[in-house]
Amino acid sequence: MVMSTRRIRRRQVLASAAGGAGLLMLPGKAPAQGGAKKLAGVTLNVSCWSSSYPQFLADYIPEFEKATGAKVNYETPSFPIYNQRMDLELSTKSDAHDVINVTFIYIGRWIGAGWVVPLTDYINDPRKTPADWDVGDFLPGSTAAFKDRQGRLCAIPWIADVQMAGASRYDLIQQAGMKLPDTFDEMATMLKAVNRKDGIPGFAAENHYGWTFIPFLQGFGGNVFRNAPTDLTPVLDSPEAVAAADFFSNMLREYGPDGVLSYTYDQVVEGLKQGRINYSTNNETFLVQMAGAGSKVAKTCALSLMPGGPKGRFPNVAGHGWGIPVGSRNKDAAWEFITWATSKQLFQRMFRDHGYSSVTRRSLIDEPEFRQKLQINGIDVAQLYLDTLTLGAKGYTIYRTVPPYPPIDHEIDVAIQRIISKQQSAKESMARLQRNALTQLKRAGVKL
Amino acid sequence: MGLLPALLVLGLVTLGPALYLVVTSLTPLTPVNPATAFDFSDPLGNYKAILATGEFWRSVWVQVELSVVTVVTQVAAGLGLALLLDRPSRFLEVLRTGFLVPMVLPPIVVAIIWKVLYTPDISPLHHLLAWLGMPIHSLITNPATAIWAIAAADTWEWFPFTMLMLLAALQMVPQEPLEAARIDGANAVQLFWHVRLPYIRPTLVVTVLFRLIDSIKAFPLIYVLTDGGPGGATQVTNYYAFEQTFNFSYWGYGSAVATLMVAGVFVLSVAVTRLGGGGETVDE
Repeated sequence: MVMSTRRIRRRQVLASAAGGAGLLMLPGKAPAQGGAKKLAGVTLNVSCWSSSYPQFLADYIPEFEKATGAKVNYETPSFPIYNQRMDLELSTKSDAHDVINVTFIYIGRWIGAGWVVPLTDYINDPRKTPADWDVGDFLPGSTAAFKDRQGRLCAIPWIADVQMAGASRYDLIQQAGMKLPDTFDEMATMLKAVNRKDGIPGFAAENHYGWTFIPFLQGFGGNVFRNAPTDLTPVLDSPEAVAAADFFSNMLREYGPDGVLSYTYDQVVEGLKQGRINYSTNNETFLVQMAGAGSKVAKTCALSLMPGGPKGRFPNVAGHGWGIPVGSRNKDAAWEFITWATSKQLFQRMFRDHGYSSVTRRSLIDEPEFRQKLQINGIDVAQLYLDTLTLGAKGYTIYRTVPPYPPIDHEIDVAIQRIISKQQSAKESMARLQRNALTQLKRAGVKL
Repeated sequence: MGLLPALLVLGLVTLGPALYLVVTSLTPLTPVNPATAFDFSDPLGNYKAILATGEFWRSVWVQVELSVVTVVTQVAAGLGLALLLDRPSRFLEVLRTGFLVPMVLPPIVVAIIWKVLYTPDISPLHHLLAWLGMPIHSLITNPATAIWAIAAADTWEWFPFTMLMLLAALQMVPQEPLEAARIDGANAVQLFWHVRLPYIRPTLVVTVLFRLIDSIKAFPLIYVLTDGGPGGATQVTNYYAFEQTFNFSYWGYGSAVATLMVAGVFVLSVAVTRLGGGGETVDE
C-alpha cells in the first residue's frame, strides 16, 4: 500500500511538473529561451499519397521548419501503398506518424473506428488555432464527409477532388465538326471521329477503375450498392451495370493507347500534356495541368463537365484531408502543421506558384485572380469546378465512404481489366464481380 | 543439455512466429475489430472459405504456371551457361562475373528495369522492335503474355543463381571418368548424360528446390509490373494472400492462405527431393 501511495505521489509530482512546463510553452507564456522556436526539438512524421498538392507542399515545408523549429519527415508514396501502410499503422495505433492524409474511401473505416483524433477541440481553441484560419471558409461539401458520428470534424480537406473531362487536342475535335461531349453517346461518336487523328489515341482513363468507371456506372442507372449506407447489397450485375461496364471498357479498348490497362494517373496526365492522348475523364487537378508549365497542348486544350448518361450526370467528387492519428505523440505540433498546410495564404501561394486549383476554401475560389486565371482557352474552369461540387452535394458518392468499400473498389478494378483485356464479357465479369463483392461483404461481417 | 538454451532460442525465434501464423489463421482477425484476435468460435472458417473461393484456386493455378515456367527456364539457362563456362579461361572468368549482375541487384531495381522495358511509350525494346518492323503490343497488359513477361524478368534475375550452383558442381566432377569416357569414344552429349549429370544431380535437385521455393515467394516483379493483373492473370497465391491481408485487412484469412502455402511448399520440397533422389551421390 505504502509503495502504491508513493508511486502515485511521484506520478502526481511528475504530472504537475509536466503540466507546468506545458503551460509555460503556450504562446505568450513562455519565458525568453534564447531564441528557441515554438516547436524546436519536435520531429513530425507526415505522410500523404502522391498527388499534385502533396508534391507542391514539399517545396514549402522548409519554411514551416524554419518558422517553427520543427523537423518534418515528409513522405508521399503512391496511393495504394500509402493506404495499405496507413491502414496497418492506424489499426495498430502506431505512433509512427503525426500527420496523415485521411483518404476518402477510408473515411468510414478510419474515422468510424476512432483511429484519428477529432479536431473540434483544436479548432475551437484560440490558443491553438490562428484567428484568421476560419474553419467556416472550407467548402461545406468538402468537410461534411470528415465528421464522426458525433459530428466532430476529424480531418481538414486539402482537396475537393472533382471529376471533369478534358481534351488535349480540342482542335482535332473541332476539325471533325464537334464539340466536347455532353453525353456518353456524344463521347462515343466524338472518340470514333478523332481516334488516331495525328496518330493520337482518343481516350485514356486512370487504371483505378473503382474511381474512373463509377460515373459511367451511375450515369447508366447502376450503382455499387442498392442503397448505401443503409442497404449494402451489391448491385454490380444489374443490366445497367453490365451496359456501363461494356461501354466504358469498349471506349478504352478501342480508343486507348497501347497498354492502357497499366496507365496510372500520372501517365494519363503526362500523356495529355505531351499530346499523346487526346481525351480523358479525369480529376480537375490533373486536367488543368494541360494549360500549365511543361505542357505542349496549353493552346489547344479544353475542359468540360463530366459527360452524363441516360440517367444523368454523376461526376466523382471526393475529398482528402489532413488528420492526426490517435497514436501520435506530437498532436499539438501536428495541428500546428495542419493549420499551416491548409491556411488560405499557403493555398494562395500554391495557386500562384504551381497553378494548384482544387482548393477547398470558398474565399479563394471567389477571388477575381482565381476566376481569371482559371479561364482556360475561354472556358471558365472555376465555374465548372463549382458546378461539379454542386452536383456532388447530391450525395451519390456516399457509397465510397462505407467501411467495407475499399476491397470492392479493388474488385471493380479487376473486373474492368477482365473486360478490357477480353478475358470475360461484361456480363460474365460483372457477375463475377457481384459474387466477389458478396464474399468481401460477408467477410467484413456485413449482414445483408 | 548444453544445447538446450540454443534450441529454445531457435525454437522461439523460428517456430514462434510460424506458430502465431497458424493460431491467427484459426481466427477471423481483422485490425478493425481487435476482439477478433481471440475469436476461435469457428476455427476452420477461414480454411472453408478459402477452399470455396474461386479466386484462391485461380491464384494456385497461376502459381503453378509461373513456377513451372520459371524453374524450367532458369535451370535450363543456368545449366547451358554453366556447361559453356566450365573450362579454364581468363576471359570466361570475367564473363562469369558479368552474368552475376542481375542476381545482386535489389529486386525492386530489377522490377523497375523491366517496367521500363515493358512500357510501350518509353521502352527501348518496343522501339527497337517497331524500328525492325516487328512492333509488339504491351506484354504486361495482355492476359496471354503477362505471365510470360514476368517469367522472362524472373529468369533474367535468377538464372545466374542456377548457373553459379551448377558451375560449382560441374567443376567438382573428377577428370578420370571423363577421360575414360572420352577414350571409349563418348561424344559431348554422352559425356554430359552419362558422366556429368549423375555427378551434379544432387546439386541440380537442391537448385530446383531453391528456385521452386523462391518462385512461390514471387512478389516484387508482380507488384511493380502487373499488380496481379490484368484481371487477375498474374495473381499468384502469395499475391492473393498479400492483398487479402494488407489491402483489405483480413489478417486471419490471409494467415490461413499463408499457412496453406507453407504446407504446400513443404509437400513440394519432399516430393522434389524424393523424385530427384536427393542425398544420393555417385560412387567413385
